[in-house]
Amino acid sequence: MKNRTILASLALVLSVSSQSIAADMVFTSWGGTTQDVQKSAWADKFTAKSGINVLQDGPTDYGKIKAMVEAKGVNWDVVDVEGDYAIQAGDKGMLEKLDFKTIDKSSLDPRFVTDYSVGSFYYSFVIGCNKDAVAACPKSWAELFDTKKFPGKRTFYKWSAPGVIEAALLADGVTPDKLYPLDLDRAFKKLDTIKSDIVWWSGGAQSQQLLASAEAPFGSFWNGRLTALAATGVTVETSWAQNITAADALVVPKGTKNKEAAMKFIAFATSPEGQAEMAAGTGYAPVNTKSPALMDPAIAKTLPDQQTSSQVNADMAYWAKHRDEIGERWYAWQSK
Amino acid sequence: MLLNFNSLGSWKWVLLAITFLTAAFLLLPILFIAALSFGSSQWLIFPPPAWTTKWYSQLFADPRWLDAAWTSFRIAVMVTLLSVVIGLFAAFGLVRGRFFGRTLLRALFMTPMILPVVVLAVALYAFFLRIGLNGTTTGFVIAHLIVALPFSILALTNALEGFDKSIEDAAVLCGASPLKARLLITLPSISHGLFSAAVFSFLTSWDEVVLAIFMASPTLQTLPVKIWATLRQDLTPVIAAASTLLIVVTIALMLVTALVRKGLKA
Amino acid sequence: MASPTSALEEQTTTRFRLGDRSSTLPALVLILIFFVLPVLALLARSVTEPVLGLGNYVELLGSSTYIKIFFNTFFVSALVTVISLLIGFPVAWALAIMPQRLATVIFAIVLLSMWTNLLARTYAWMVLLQRTGVINKALLGLGIIDKPLIMVNNLTGVTIGMTYIMLPFIIIPLYGVIRKIDPALLQAAALCGANRRQALTSVLIPLAMPGMAAGGLMVFVMSLGYFVTPSLLGGTSNMMLAELIAQFVQSLVNWGMGGAAAFVLLVVTLSLYALQLRLFGAAGEGGR
Repeated sequence: MKNRTILASLALVLSVSSQSIAADMVFTSWGGTTQDVQKSAWADKFTAKSGINVLQDGPTDYGKIKAMVEAKGVNWDVVDVEGDYAIQAGDKGMLEKLDFKTIDKSSLDPRFVTDYSVGSFYYSFVIGCNKDAVAACPKSWAELFDTKKFPGKRTFYKWSAPGVIEAALLADGVTPDKLYPLDLDRAFKKLDTIKSDIVWWSGGAQSQQLLASAEAPFGSFWNGRLTALAATGVTVETSWAQNITAADALVVPKGTKNKEAAMKFIAFATSPEGQAEMAAGTGYAPVNTKSPALMDPAIAKTLPDQQTSSQVNADMAYWAKHRDEIGERWYAWQSK
Repeated sequence: MLLNFNSLGSWKWVLLAITFLTAAFLLLPILFIAALSFGSSQWLIFPPPAWTTKWYSQLFADPRWLDAAWTSFRIAVMVTLLSVVIGLFAAFGLVRGRFFGRTLLRALFMTPMILPVVVLAVALYAFFLRIGLNGTTTGFVIAHLIVALPFSILALTNALEGFDKSIEDAAVLCGASPLKARLLITLPSISHGLFSAAVFSFLTSWDEVVLAIFMASPTLQTLPVKIWATLRQDLTPVIAAASTLLIVVTIALMLVTALVRKGLKA
Repeated sequence: MASPTSALEEQTTTRFRLGDRSSTLPALVLILIFFVLPVLALLARSVTEPVLGLGNYVELLGSSTYIKIFFNTFFVSALVTVISLLIGFPVAWALAIMPQRLATVIFAIVLLSMWTNLLARTYAWMVLLQRTGVINKALLGLGIIDKPLIMVNNLTGVTIGMTYIMLPFIIIPLYGVIRKIDPALLQAAALCGANRRQALTSVLIPLAMPGMAAGGLMVFVMSLGYFVTPSLLGGTSNMMLAELIAQFVQSLVNWGMGGAAAFVLLVVTLSLYALQLRLFGAAGEGGR
């Protein structure tokens, strides 16, 4: 008898869940400090200005988006996704068309605007090097692929996404205007020459760890990660030569019940002030061309949008169209 | 004589050596994580440039970690209770029952362990969306229960199979009811099976991350999800601090239990 | 042939019959509603997406990449299982017979090793095993090696990492099994003139076999579905099936292929399991 009472009260205590907060919309991103900045620069300020409450969720998962759109039970209102996925998902009918009456796209970088998405922020793949660990640092993609001049391990992004294939082609001598359509055979041939010296990074944190510990003293990185790494005291040398841009995008899954709030949120996030604050906090570039004027010049010049002298833009539309086939060939090559 | 420690002769040392080496192997990462949690560098470099407790201060300053830990704990407890009870019933049926399709049923119960969790996660997520269970504690517990049950059933069927039923029958013959015989004779005898079932069920739920990501909501997050989201984006020894803290608390609990048991025996 | 047991079960009232198939009902209902139905719905997509037919399976089984990943997955799982059994058996044996105090401490260490978060443990191994990691630094410093060992981003790393996780799943159940073995049986063997080796191979191991088979199965099956540890500790040429399926489901959002891969894995594994049940049976039936 006594045991039953204990069990019952235990069940009662354990089933009490925390109070659910009344939210007016949900913003989902990839987590970590980037999302923390998105929260403080966008969500909190948006709530203060409009009174619409914003709940944070994550990490972004494309499987979840597909499931919720199909089940007509969408509970993510604005999602930060990869640029090429945004285009593909839009074509597949998974996203709401953006309301450009609410969202002012006039000063947005046109590279990152489509019917279904606007840029969230953009970044560049650059060459990073731990200066204390090696005698010399590679300064171009060709040098990064040169194991004779620069022996040792190098690190690249593991997943199939814009960046590595382009770097291989550029290293092999392809000029930026002739990059697309991507010659996959040529790229994989070039990658084969250094395959045994590659250590793959699967997340931003891992890339920083590899560089900091000199397990892979140089490689291809997201520029923001190198900025953050340098700030913790590691001597990082960055080369922006032929840096390859890619972008994250903000989308609205089809069938969301908070469409109006979602559009207003995106309008705020892509405003000059919203983008400026985001850039300052993350080291990534703003997609609003009016933002650099609002920023501290010292910070502004470390951002990708100022490194345009030899910048190469990854073609998001091309990737969106060939996402699946490139993915299959990529994993096939990796597993060899 | 093989089961008598003292009469093993030289084999005793071989066994002890393997055991100590294995124990050292099992301890190494734990000690390493503990050491890292006091290192001043954000990066996992050993030896660290300096020592600090700032990661622990960060941990305590952020209520979301404690929140996540508490959520993980209460879900794991519920899952364990349900898994052991339902698993026990199922084990009795599988071991004692004589019916067609027993082997098939056994295989069916094992399937949640075989199927990659991500498939179950997406399937359950889509299902729960339609019946309104997603983002709820109930849904979470059900999801974890599905993957914990195979461990429970496996451990308990094995324990029951190794149990000599005639002792239980003897008790019934002596006048005890079947229920009493099972409670007082069988259960204590398979206590190790119950322990295994409970431990594996608890740990399966406690450490589970893929299902948790799908079952979570902004207000319902477990510790592994928080660690996963944080670690993918930013490396920080706060996680090492959290892990170490957990170990310390567990060791403390184990010591207390041992002392209490000693006190009870005295 | 009315055994006392069946006669008893006849006598006892059917109000509380724990021991026939009806007590498997709660588990069965749970698994049917919350596992079989939703999963079948998803797996069905393997023949409906992107078009009706077996296209996904043809692509899967016809591609050398996927076949390689399949084989690699089963190979690594088998390797980890064998190594865990080889290490786990002596440890469980030692635990079952060593002085109580020492056994408690070692057992606590085994439990504690399961208690740390999986990601934390895997990252720890990553840093320990690196070229510039602690183990290499120590070995180099002691002069045991003169070039760093490559123990991560390859099969070695995956094996070490996964064995670390799987060992307790062998040790804990096997410990219980060995403890239950009647020492008299081994004393009898000694009396019959068996030396230690003969007693080990003809008596102890067969008696412990059901425990080893159960633990081994659990570890093998769990390894098949793992991808966090192999992903962080292995190289891309060691890619495991679970990681591929996760990529299909969550990133490429190709549920047709993901479902097909999962289904093939399921069929192969269940067949192996059925084989194991037939070979080793249940201790109450085939056993001794």
